Amino acid sequence: MFIIICPYCGERDQTEFSSGGEAHIVRPKQPTELSDDEWAEFLFMRKNIKGIQFERWNHSHGCRKWFNVVRDTSNDKIHAVYKMGEKPPINK
Amino acid sequence: MLNFETTLQDSKTYGDLTLSEVEPILKINLRSNKREFSTKIGKLLSILPPIEANTSSSNEDYSILWLSPDEWLIYSNNKISYEQQNLLEENLFNNISNINQGSVTNVTDHWIMINLKGSKIYDLLSKSSPYDFKNFKIKKGSVAQTLLNHTDVILHNIGDNNLNLFVRRSFSEDLWLWINDSARFL
Repeated sequence: MFIIICPYCGERDQTEFSSGGEAHIVRPKQPTELSDDEWAEFLFMRKNIKGIQFERWNHSHGCRKWFNVVRDTSNDKIHAVYKMGEKPPINK
Repeated sequence: MLNFETTLQDSKTYGDLTLSEVEPILKINLRSNKREFSTKIGKLLSILPPIEANTSSSNEDYSILWLSPDEWLIYSNNKISYEQQNLLEENLFNNISNINQGSVTNVTDHWIMINLKGSKIYDLLSKSSPYDFKNFKIKKGSVAQTLLNHTDVILHNIGDNNLNLFVRRSFSEDLWLWINDSARFL
């Protein structure tokens, strides 16, 4: 359990949010030209690192907006929260 | 079973705590990210949608609650007739939806409004809500969307120890029973 600061609503409990997995995965511009392996890589393969991870979260029981979170998966410490479309405040 | 007319007809008192369902008043959901939208609403209802998060604005007839940066909930402070409801909805629809300025949805039957009054309401809500009511309870007009007993609710602070709680119709009976059950142990 941890607290997330929603960029729209402010400080809220984690139970109000749902995780949307890894952030900043760019959709290939020409999906038809990809091999099956490359397409599978884009669709299914996600990092699952111990340490600082860039994630998408949705405030599903509040304002229902998506945003990005930089979270340390080893201790659930949140280093930064930023809106969709914004540049990460911490270097990736 | 769900009764189309009204789900909860009770008004209950437990010591200092009073719970009552407010009769079907008008509720309209608005969504827009256009700049002219705010002034349009101001002209139509003589009230501006709040821009600041977790706040509301009210006049004699209506309250507008902030739900998200591009979403608001209007509700009437008093019961109004169906003719008036339809007229207002049509007016908003013609001035906003019809000219692609946003969306207007009548959610009168979607939300049930329960009024909670008394010094122990925050003790009751804190029993099963992850929300921190510290700032909410001192600021009149505060709005919070959160969970109460795992059910989505919208809370609107309308005065000292007096708040309106909105819950989806299909969850309202369950939440009403839970509130009544919990209130007995305060």
